[in-house]
Amino acid sequence: MSITSANPLTLDDEARREQRRLASRRKKRSIDLKGWAFLAPTFIFVGVFCYWPAVRALEGAFTSWDGVSAPKWVGLHNFDQLLHDTVFLQSFLHLLWWSLFGIPVGMGASLLVALLIYRLDSKRAQYWFRVAFSLTLCLPGIVGILTWSNFYEIGGVIDDLLGYVGLGRFGTAWLANPHTALGALIFMGFPFVGAFAMLVFYAGLQSIPGEILDAAAVDGVSSLRRVWHVELPLIKGQLKVILILTIISITQNLLPPLLLTQGGPANESFVPVLYMYENAFQYAQMGYALSIAFVLFVASLVLALVTMRYLRTDAETRKKVA
Amino acid sequence: MTNRRSTSLGVKIPHYVVLTVIGALSLFPMYFMAVTGLKNGIQLEQNPFSLAINRPFGIFYQQAWDYIDGDLLRTGLITAASVLGITVLGMMSAYAFARIEFLGTGLLFYLIFGLLLIPSFLTLIPLFLEVRSIGLINNPLALILPYIAGGQAFAVFVFRSNIQAIPEELFEAARVDGASHLRMLLHIATPLSRPIMIAVGLLNVTAIWGDYVFPSLVLPVSRQTAAMAVGNFQPPPSVPDINVVNLQFAAYTIISVPIILLFIFFIRYFIAGLATGAVKM
Repeated sequence: MSITSANPLTLDDEARREQRRLASRRKKRSIDLKGWAFLAPTFIFVGVFCYWPAVRALEGAFTSWDGVSAPKWVGLHNFDQLLHDTVFLQSFLHLLWWSLFGIPVGMGASLLVALLIYRLDSKRAQYWFRVAFSLTLCLPGIVGILTWSNFYEIGGVIDDLLGYVGLGRFGTAWLANPHTALGALIFMGFPFVGAFAMLVFYAGLQSIPGEILDAAAVDGVSSLRRVWHVELPLIKGQLKVILILTIISITQNLLPPLLLTQGGPANESFVPVLYMYENAFQYAQMGYALSIAFVLFVASLVLALVTMRYLRTDAETRKKVA
Repeated sequence: MTNRRSTSLGVKIPHYVVLTVIGALSLFPMYFMAVTGLKNGIQLEQNPFSLAINRPFGIFYQQAWDYIDGDLLRTGLITAASVLGITVLGMMSAYAFARIEFLGTGLLFYLIFGLLLIPSFLTLIPLFLEVRSIGLINNPLALILPYIAGGQAFAVFVFRSNIQAIPEELFEAARVDGASHLRMLLHIATPLSRPIMIAVGLLNVTAIWGDYVFPSLVLPVSRQTAAMAVGNFQPPPSVPDINVVNLQFAAYTIISVPIILLFIFFIRYFIAGLATGAVKM
């Protein structure tokens, strides 16, 4: 505190700089608390309603638990049971199919629309197409699902369309037919353009500096090569976020099978998250349900981490090199 | 005008055609929903795509409104309180991460960001048990508090990028004038984040407004949300079987209308907010 009592006017430059440095360090230490004060509400909320339940879920996976009485520790028993549970294994296979189709097609459709809009000459047209696709977000998720379930009914929209092109004989109760139920759930939401993903991709394309595109044009790069070699690498940051969000959203996509098929017919449309839900809330097998959640969580986490590792953005690569 | 912009008509027209077709297909469920509520079951069977109208005009909308109107206000309040909480808390944390130097910035940010990797199914069961054990079952707070928590990861992540992009000079000028962090948050960061706040807010509104699974676990039918009402639709006995579908679609339309209005009102900000490029890694 002696420094503050000295008259700054009598100090030479060096000392004054030193004093400023000390003052700023003092200030920094005092703002420590201020930073935490800004964060406190968020951390209280996520601590109580995100982290705590997540920890409970992970430890619950190793117990036998009906949700009412005290959980009983059973070690790896649940996981052992999962390995021999054909419904679970089958449901995991379904999720695999769903992901193999849903991730590339969903991201591809959104990217295609973003690219097409971005290539339009008129800024006005670009804006209105973005508005039109954004409106698809207005349909609450449950309404979209229920609407599609109506499309799939016998004599519904899908059957009618097949009839128009002369394929009427293939019409069926799509969601009640064991051969088509899973496919119908996966196909739901055609043409699969996610407005949010599309807008994020568009924003990425928009931020590509004009000089780079001009250089590509001067070099006579064809349109398709330009997409692959110039534009896609430059929106890697966006692709990465959307890929991770897509992986997670497909893994946790509970509502369509819950509302429309309950995993049937003949377990042909079970996915792990629905099997978890049924175990927890139909059969009161919380521990077993949580072990399913545990496996799913680890699987999607590994996928997300692999994505983050292998889709390194240029900024990160630079950081790593430096 | 550089030559990359001078596309020929032969390239341009297919672009417009493809976009229009994909757009129309994407919006078709919305059209189908609204017109199915206007016609009756027989008209629907004859041609599901047509614009036929059942007489008296809008009868199913009238009946659906009677079925659902009590739940709309409740759902609206739950959604509004949750989105307000997400935005206010999210902005405070995002500001701290972007502008205040403090011990543990990196670690704490990853603690928040890491939540994006914790899927909702993992916490669904313990969250339900937790909410039940603290006695919040049947109380709208059982939804609002977890929604606020669940919205933090994405909001903080996006708001932070946005605040980081605000020119340093603006904050420097305010600091010289002796502004506190709270003042800078309220008077610089917040006004300049309005589009992204609206964009994130709208995304949360649609997610919360249409959420079905968690509400149906914690709320009784007597205090259900609008999404629960359409998910567990019980047609009034006075409606003939063949027209139940039309009544249902009228109800779907009614619960979509508030979201559609919000989007129409805020679409400019929504588009601008997501055009800032704050969503990336």
